[in-house]
Amino acid sequence: MVKKVKRYFRLYKVLISQFFKVILQSKVDFLMGLLGFFLTQVMGIAFLYLVFEQIPSLQGWTLDQLIFIYGFAQIPRGIDHLLTDNIWMVAWRLVINGDFDRYMLRPMNIFFQVIAEKLQPDALGELLIGAILVVISLGKGIVIVDAGRILLFVVSVLAGALIYTSIKLFFASLAFWVKISGPFLQVAYEMANFAKYPTEIYAKAIRFIITWVIPFAFVAYLPASFFLKQEVSAAVIGIEYMIAVVFWCIAYAVFNHGTKVYESAGN
Amino acid sequence: MKKKLRIYLPFASNELKRQMAYKGAFYLFIFISLFGSFIQYFLWMAIYGSAENSVLGGLTREEMVVYIFMVYVTGSVVMISISDWVSDDVVKGTVAMNLIKPIDYRMSLISRAMGQVVYRFLVPGVFIWIGLEIYKVTVLGLSVTGVTNVLLYLASCIMSFFIYVLFDFCFGMVAFFTTYIFGMLMAKEALLSFLTGQLIPLSFFPEVVQKVFDYLPFSSMVYTPVMIYLGKYSDAQLCFVLARQAAWVVILYVLGSLIWKQVTKRLVVLGG
Repeated sequence: MVKKVKRYFRLYKVLISQFFKVILQSKVDFLMGLLGFFLTQVMGIAFLYLVFEQIPSLQGWTLDQLIFIYGFAQIPRGIDHLLTDNIWMVAWRLVINGDFDRYMLRPMNIFFQVIAEKLQPDALGELLIGAILVVISLGKGIVIVDAGRILLFVVSVLAGALIYTSIKLFFASLAFWVKISGPFLQVAYEMANFAKYPTEIYAKAIRFIITWVIPFAFVAYLPASFFLKQEVSAAVIGIEYMIAVVFWCIAYAVFNHGTKVYESAGN
Repeated sequence: MKKKLRIYLPFASNELKRQMAYKGAFYLFIFISLFGSFIQYFLWMAIYGSAENSVLGGLTREEMVVYIFMVYVTGSVVMISISDWVSDDVVKGTVAMNLIKPIDYRMSLISRAMGQVVYRFLVPGVFIWIGLEIYKVTVLGLSVTGVTNVLLYLASCIMSFFIYVLFDFCFGMVAFFTTYIFGMLMAKEALLSFLTGQLIPLSFFPEVVQKVFDYLPFSSMVYTPVMIYLGKYSDAQLCFVLARQAAWVVILYVLGSLIWKQVTKRLVVLGG
């Protein structure tokens, strides 16, 4: 078992060194991708600034608090984006082309092979802006900092990334049955944009969906509010953690089952 | 003129047919981009709910609803990203084929874009528009938009389309210098959504910034037609903004021709 884990670690290290080579080789492309994601988020922040010229607070939330929520939301998103971007390929291309064959042939965990094939440098744009906004918020002193919360911050970010991965994996795995599941995945993934703002602003149905069906509210808004408000109970992070585990188990089971029903594209 | 039409019309009709063939992908695209509009809708309702004034940036709550959805309709019809096609042609090398043929590459792209305009107007655009008008009258209690405003809006939209595609053609020339245009496209979209007024009405910006925007082509792309639709301009202003749009069409046309000449001079295509 230990040997196996060691072997996987070694393989992943090889992969990461490849990743740095890619960045060094095409610096312009890397910077462009980074800039693209970075700017998208900056515009979102500029929007909030302009709006708050007109209003003192949004349903009880101040500008500073909303910026923290916005920035916090980018971190789990960026981590997942960096590490597991290749899942998109399963949904769009690998299954329908029959390219998924190569994962089936090697004596290694299939999911590991899928995600190990690619690290997505564009994600650094999201991580960067997320980190900047969180640091600015810390500087302003609006975030509650104590030992427990620092620990839970890490737990929450990791659980959030896992929720992202699970949702992606679940919808991508549908490709084993419907051949191309990219569209479904895209719709689900875009739902995350709702959770950048306090969910109280939405109609009840939408709020229900993003809290319990495709639980992006537990990735962004709900845990972020725990770090901002004393009265929010730490149970939020507990629930987030549970959701992450449950969704992961479901998604991974579906994925595993999918690889069993997978048929290669014949010729 | 007739000959020109015979040459370029097939580009438009082929694109229309192509779009018809991939309906699934298209409906999805509508669905996702409407997500954005609904997020904005709820966000703005909360913003108006928290504001002390009933008018923000010169728009009432009801006008804002019209603004959000008309921006969506206008943007989806007018903003046809031809730089995607340019980068495709450059990466695959097929741009060489277009250079050999006795046709104007830019005209063929614009014709193709027109085919998409027709499709996008028919499939989501017009239905959302009608739906919005019904919502406006029954729920918001506003009157139906007058015929003159609608006609002026459409005229303005046609110019917006040309401003956008001519601008985007210039932008697409970047594809000749970098192979990874995806990041550039994202950056462009992010900036444009802001500068064209898709994200927030330009009237929300500080005075100084608005002055700068007056000298850029972006406000003429989406903001101008939508404000015309809302009837926010006086007659004198109306003449001015329409003339400004016309001027941008001419400027960007000339600019595009110049850049194209420079770029094709240094073009190297490998293989064929």
